[in-house]
Amino acid sequence: VSVEEHDPDRPIADELGPLPAGRHGFTPEEVAHNQRERLLAAVVEVVDEHGYSAVTVTRITEAASVSRRVFYENFDDKQACFVAAFEIVVEHLREIILAAARLEPDWPHRIIAGLRVLLDFLDAEPLLARLLLVDSLAAGAEVAARFRAALISFVPYLRTGREERPKAAQLPASTEDSLLGAVASLLGRAVAGRAPLDVPRLTNELAEFILTPYVGAKRAAALAEQARTLP
Amino acid sequence: MRALPGAEKRTPSGGRPTVTAGDADDERRSRIMRATAELIAKRGYQRTRVELIIERAHVGYTSLYRLFPEKVDIFIALFDDASDRTFELIEASYEREPGGWPEKVAAAVRSFFGAVYADPLLAKACLVESLTAGPALAARYEATVLRAAEFLRGGRALASRSAEFPETYEEVIVGGVLWMPYQCLLVGEVERIPDLYSEAVEFILRHYLSEGRAAEIAGAAEWSPRNLPS
Repeated sequence: VSVEEHDPDRPIADELGPLPAGRHGFTPEEVAHNQRERLLAAVVEVVDEHGYSAVTVTRITEAASVSRRVFYENFDDKQACFVAAFEIVVEHLREIILAAARLEPDWPHRIIAGLRVLLDFLDAEPLLARLLLVDSLAAGAEVAARFRAALISFVPYLRTGREERPKAAQLPASTEDSLLGAVASLLGRAVAGRAPLDVPRLTNELAEFILTPYVGAKRAAALAEQARTLP
Repeated sequence: MRALPGAEKRTPSGGRPTVTAGDADDERRSRIMRATAELIAKRGYQRTRVELIIERAHVGYTSLYRLFPEKVDIFIALFDDASDRTFELIEASYEREPGGWPEKVAAAVRSFFGAVYADPLLAKACLVESLTAGPALAARYEATVLRAAEFLRGGRALASRSAEFPETYEEVIVGGVLWMPYQCLLVGEVERIPDLYSEAVEFILRHYLSEGRAAEIAGAAEWSPRNLPS
């Protein structure tokens, strides 16, 4: 799925759905593009259903209703297909998080807005949430490394918080890393449980947790309380 | 608690130690668990096939399936064993530390990082790969996080606004602390673990103490070989 064309009101999984059966007026390029999208949608579904290790190329192609030849025209193997789906989700999240943050007047509110968009996405897209936070850990060293890279790519945005006050400038070097790791591990455990996310509560808790080292406990608690009641 | 390697030797009191079937099984159990931990750390859980375990542990199929009906049972046993032993270390150093809660937490974290540093393969199996091995292991990982969070809850008595802390605050902190060795183990940079120790202490204490005090205790938190479990 192309991120640029993504309609924010539609779940990505819908866009990744199969083509309607029967004759259609698509050009060969459009069909090829669609086949790739169907494979991506299929890998998300079958990984969630069977677990990464039990997924085979055959399972993916059957779920996507495309041939093995088409699969191998698009991807080298199942891992490459999984990585492509994973990267789409990561890129999409990065876009919506940064877009939401840009609308806010100051750093703490940018963090809260980004957090809220992330949580809304994970709540609305449980399949993609598990792909991102749970299945990616089981999909081999390369995907685990990509997950880590995606997470630490947010370090600079957090690090800006060190300008909030003099004390924050002296935080240990690994602070941003640990905060992001803490958030990822809490969310991973939350989505693995397959229960709906309590978005207002999580926004409140995680906002307080992230902001505390930068703005101090008192201000963090006040900002987090505001965050709980966001529409 | 299940039979630990080397523990619960069934020696009849007053007599000469005799080798019993129980001893031999204990020994097989621990060989199987060790071999499995190493394979999981190197290959990941899904690619750790039973044939590989049998080859590495020098046991037969029959013994293995008698002791562990399913592959996941081995992972569960080695996770529980590692978790029990690590929590024993953590509890002992927490109790032994004469200082207040912050110093006790620093001592507990040192024991945890020490255990990871002393056996990175076992640590990788339990802290990294357990998340990929299905619901039974995920539940154990979760229980471990909750158990570790209990050590931090004592800090609420020191924090002025502790009443406002969300219920799960300590769990999130534990998640951040676990992320430090997780990253090192994932990319094979175990040598960074000692450097991260005092940062982990500061990361925790900042939520409960004044920033100056947290930094001071973290600065005094020393990593030295005498702190490592043997």
